[in-house]
Amino acid sequence: MTTEPRSVNVRLTVNGTPREAAVPVYRTLVDLLRYDLGLTGTKEACGVGVCGACTVVVNGNLTASCITLAFKADGATVETVEGMARDGELHPLQASFIEHGGFQCGACTPGQLVAAKALLDSNPEPTEDEVRRWMSGNLCRCTGYAQILDAIVKATAAREA
Amino acid sequence: MTSPTVIHSVGLPAPRADAIGKVTGGATYTADLRLPGTVWGKVLRSPYPHARIAGIDTSAARQVPGVHAVLTGDDLPPNTRFGRRIVDVPVLAQGIVRFIGEPVAAVAADDEDIAQRALDLIEVEYEELPAIFDALEAIEPGATLLHPDVMNYTGLPAPLERPSNVVTRTVWGTGDVDQGFRQAEWTFDYTFTIPTVHQAYIEPHSCLVRIDEAGRVQVWASNKAPYNLRQQVAACIGLPLERIRINPVTIGGDFGGKGSPMFIPLAYFLAKATARTVRIVLAYAEELTSANPRHPCVAQVRVGANRDGTIVAYQARLVFNSGAYAGFKPAGFLPGAQHGGGAYHVPHCKVEALGVYTNRVPCGHMRGPGEPQSIFAFESAVDRVARDLGLPPLEVRRKNLLRDGETNSLGHRYQDIRAEDTLNAALEAAGWDAPKGKNVGRGVAICERAPGGGETHANVTLHADGSVVLHTSIFEQGSGSYTTLQQVAAEELGLPHDAVRVEVWDTDAVPFDTGVGGSRVTRVATQAGAGAAQQARDLLLQRAAQTLGWPREQLTLAGTRIRRNDTGETHSWADVIAKTGSPVVGGASIKDMGPAPVTGFTAQVAEVEVDPETGAVKLRRIASAHDVGRVVNPMGIRGQIYGGIAQGVGYGMMEELRMDDGRVTTASFADYKIPTMADMPEVRIVLLESESGVGPYHVKGIGENPNAPTAAAIANAVEDAVGVRIDDLPITAEKVYRALRAKRQ
Repeated sequence: MTTEPRSVNVRLTVNGTPREAAVPVYRTLVDLLRYDLGLTGTKEACGVGVCGACTVVVNGNLTASCITLAFKADGATVETVEGMARDGELHPLQASFIEHGGFQCGACTPGQLVAAKALLDSNPEPTEDEVRRWMSGNLCRCTGYAQILDAIVKATAAREA
Repeated sequence: MTSPTVIHSVGLPAPRADAIGKVTGGATYTADLRLPGTVWGKVLRSPYPHARIAGIDTSAARQVPGVHAVLTGDDLPPNTRFGRRIVDVPVLAQGIVRFIGEPVAAVAADDEDIAQRALDLIEVEYEELPAIFDALEAIEPGATLLHPDVMNYTGLPAPLERPSNVVTRTVWGTGDVDQGFRQAEWTFDYTFTIPTVHQAYIEPHSCLVRIDEAGRVQVWASNKAPYNLRQQVAACIGLPLERIRINPVTIGGDFGGKGSPMFIPLAYFLAKATARTVRIVLAYAEELTSANPRHPCVAQVRVGANRDGTIVAYQARLVFNSGAYAGFKPAGFLPGAQHGGGAYHVPHCKVEALGVYTNRVPCGHMRGPGEPQSIFAFESAVDRVARDLGLPPLEVRRKNLLRDGETNSLGHRYQDIRAEDTLNAALEAAGWDAPKGKNVGRGVAICERAPGGGETHANVTLHADGSVVLHTSIFEQGSGSYTTLQQVAAEELGLPHDAVRVEVWDTDAVPFDTGVGGSRVTRVATQAGAGAAQQARDLLLQRAAQTLGWPREQLTLAGTRIRRNDTGETHSWADVIAKTGSPVVGGASIKDMGPAPVTGFTAQVAEVEVDPETGAVKLRRIASAHDVGRVVNPMGIRGQIYGGIAQGVGYGMMEELRMDDGRVTTASFADYKIPTMADMPEVRIVLLESESGVGPYHVKGIGENPNAPTAAAIANAVEDAVGVRIDDLPITAEKVYRALRAKRQ
């Protein structure tokens, strides 16, 4: 017999805004964001926490939201791609991805951007090698990474200028 | 007559037309769509590679609260199948399953988790049948026939003489190979094996199907050939074309894999059964186990050569394991298989490709259907022949390379052959003659492909507020078609490219569009976009002449103004439109189906360093030279090349959809490894521009070529480095280690 799953109330701050949803205990964070809160910028691809498409920042830490249960984010601060542009102004990384061709189909792009922002927030002047290692958790099948790497490195340079 | 002489857009790097949505999370992919009352569809799949279905009990699944429908093959009309050409893929298995992962039943429920719980309650009784996984076994006389009814299938590219697991046999070539082998001083035989790999786009297959109030079937889907899709779905579900509309949506990568109906007909039957909008999104494990990966291939090659390195004859028998069904190929077979020696003059050549049914996941198209397999075989064979003759591989390559006026290995004669220039450019970029360290090697491979033909439509509308909208029938999948269209329209109007906004028609708008693929878009879309803009410009100038009382022949368009050349006066074109009330609309319909008169060459040099103790291959650099005609968007074309090379590197060194008795054992991105940023070497790109392309901007294709020769260049480099050859992709440390050990003994 199937039993009705227990529901939990999750309160969290997403991109600076307090949000709340009653969800089943097994709800993943990516599904909470996408389906309960309507923030579909974050993508789900592999579903097992290895491709990086669902990357968000939870309490300052890069997190695979597809293998994080939503209730674990109760009380947390969550940052997603939707929070990167401020007051209609693109984040320098977003502008740099556009200018340097850092995406094609765009399916991995929200995760790439969130991961790259976390890198620059913790290490404002990464070497190219540090970028390569940090970003190796975010798969992209379109670009071959060269223009993503270029976009991140040049966003760093633009910040310094 | 009034062509602007100043280039504003074509040839300059253009950021993508869809950029803002894609960097802010605002772009809408199929799985992001939210329609009220949507239910989730989920599929129960066969755990057996070949079995008869003795019975299915869905009664418990139907009792689960929140379940709206449960379907099995018995609920569908007999022989409910789809196919891009050969119609052989059951929407749900009817009586027989032929691969692990084949859809057997489906549930529509309020959410995904309820659907999954219902699936778990479906009881299927199977009677196992003997299964065949190896294509070479499947072609043996007396092998179990996997499709006894194959003779009756619609869409076979050629009729079969008798029922066989060999569903397609295609032969290309030139001359007479038997005569060629008699003439040749030496004959060499080689066998190459190439594994199944997956397109590995980041967005899994997804669709939404709704039957609207008017009874029309509304489809949103990750599919790049919507007009073909409409035909295929109509044929499958038994509705006329006009009852189905495919709606545009952002597509998250394709690489050839997103051109089939996949589970869209199933979603239709669920929508019909539930009277609700049905959404199906594959879990990535389902992608890797059921969604038309690239064909594995056994290539049996014979080369006839003289001791000076002249290749007299080439014969290849390419056995492609199609898996359980053949319906995922738009031609029924893999046309790219012919291209193996396309960059060479080979007087006697015969390439035979077999498409073979087995009990494995059915295969489809990926980035040059048949090309990476065929080119790996040919370009590996060239190096093997050279080494067997004691000649430098580069010398043998040069000796046989295609030159102006010659026919290639397929008997095609193209204009402006640039094979040698392309090869030289790659060698120079690679530093071919620079000293190499110990255990460092360089290998080269070259290939060609002509841009495909197709049909497409575009409108350019000039509005009274000065805005310009381009409508297209193309559903792009990431490769940059919308940006190309923006650029050519802007070029003709004398505007910067981002002054043109791109909007995409649904399939009600035009009769047909061939869809994205085969490098046809740049060829036909540049003609359509430019043609529509030229017509809009001409209509605007006519209208301006009437409205302003200026002589038509003196008028030119200069950005946002109309200029009267005899007086130097200018007037805003937006104002002309405002004064006359209705927007100006120019249109172009392009049907350019024939073979292109030119082909495009790609030459790559891989440089590797091999650890002789462990066999580990470090890829140090790829130099890649491309014969591209004129470049429309330097940033876009480089993106295509970098991305193609990364797929070639994966194909060459990492990727294999492994199977154990038909069960995919690399069923997640944790096991199916594609290159990461840290895996990619330095890539040096050379673009060889010329006026020898097609259409108003002299373009060639770029989509397929960059991924096709990479694996062979790496194999050739490994042999150059440490003297062992890997003929079995991917080239892993284990294989190199074993080969080194065998060589030492």
